[in-house]
Amino acid sequence: MRGGVGCRLSAVEANSNRLTVKPSKRRKHLASCLLTSVFCLSLAHATAPATLPLTLPPAQEGRAVAIQRNLRCPLCDTGESIADSRSDISVKMRSSVREQIADGRSDSEIYTFFSQRYGNFVLLDPPKTGRNLLLWGAPLLALGGGGAALWAFLRRRGPAPAPDAAQDAEPYDSYLDQVRRDTGGGGT
Amino acid sequence: MTDTPSTQTAQPKSVPTWRRALPPLIAAALVGVLGYTLLNPAKNVTTGGPLIGKPAPAFTLTSLDEVPVSLASLKGRPVVLNFWASWCGPCREEAPLFRELGAQQTANGAAILGILFQETKEQNARDFIKEYALAYPNLRDPGINTGVDYGVSGIPETVFIDRAGIVQHMDRGGLTRERLNVGLKKIGVKGL
Repeated sequence: MRGGVGCRLSAVEANSNRLTVKPSKRRKHLASCLLTSVFCLSLAHATAPATLPLTLPPAQEGRAVAIQRNLRCPLCDTGESIADSRSDISVKMRSSVREQIADGRSDSEIYTFFSQRYGNFVLLDPPKTGRNLLLWGAPLLALGGGGAALWAFLRRRGPAPAPDAAQDAEPYDSYLDQVRRDTGGGGT
Repeated sequence: MTDTPSTQTAQPKSVPTWRRALPPLIAAALVGVLGYTLLNPAKNVTTGGPLIGKPAPAFTLTSLDEVPVSLASLKGRPVVLNFWASWCGPCREEAPLFRELGAQQTANGAAILGILFQETKEQNARDFIKEYALAYPNLRDPGINTGVDYGVSGIPETVFIDRAGIVQHMDRGGLTRERLNVGLKKIGVKGL
């Protein structure tokens, strides 16, 4: 219901669907509407008094760009970073990153600032601490555990029986015997 | 120790039932966990968030009627914060609920505040307020500072703050009567 109202009415309406959390069923249709709405919105914002972009020294500028690449645009479904996104909230977050760098905050303080508000979801490179360690460690643990189990299993089972033994055990089948003779295969 | 040869000969024939059931059980558990986690994010998206249980970020904003409103001035009262914009369809759908909620409050009841999020044209917001006869203050958030402080990623988004100023509940993506009541209950306000 909600996904359907947007585009028919106006380009800006389409943007409302983009901003809600529920995914739209008419995504393809929306995407084309979104392009026009982004255009309309940028026009609307061109008239609004924009805050002047902060100029940073080159080293700090580099840090700002690196941080912006590691922060996810919170309303884009695509997992875009705020460095790539054109949404208003990303513009705001980019300027916030620059302001915080100018204020002398460290990278981790800036990441914490955003993760306290949006959760770790906003970090494109989540920290390898706390519960996240499980995410990184689980494959290694599984590999170790699986290896140990396999080793224990093979050790208990002893040397594998020769393949001939298995073949001898199988019941005599005249047809299979015929096939083996005809193809000249089938081992001994 | 002495009975190992006998168990070794007996084992391959009669594997205990629990050991035969173990692999399919593990597989079923894995499928279950996978299914649960696949279906769960959709549920989590609409509520919760890192702010729950934490003090609500302070703000002082100006309303469309040019009255400054700060969260601190509402301390001692439960607060319902609604981020919205006139161009947002679901915001329209939930607006009548907020009018109803506003009409139900006494002087010491819940304070309802609207905060504009990426409103493209202020006049549209004024028309919206008039259309739905919203009687509570609606605030401008230039630069989306308050929006970022509350981790707003899309609208509508509603924050339920208790009397002590702690965020108890957040709801994203359009309220229904039931969903509004869930939030109200958490901050000790009578539901609709």
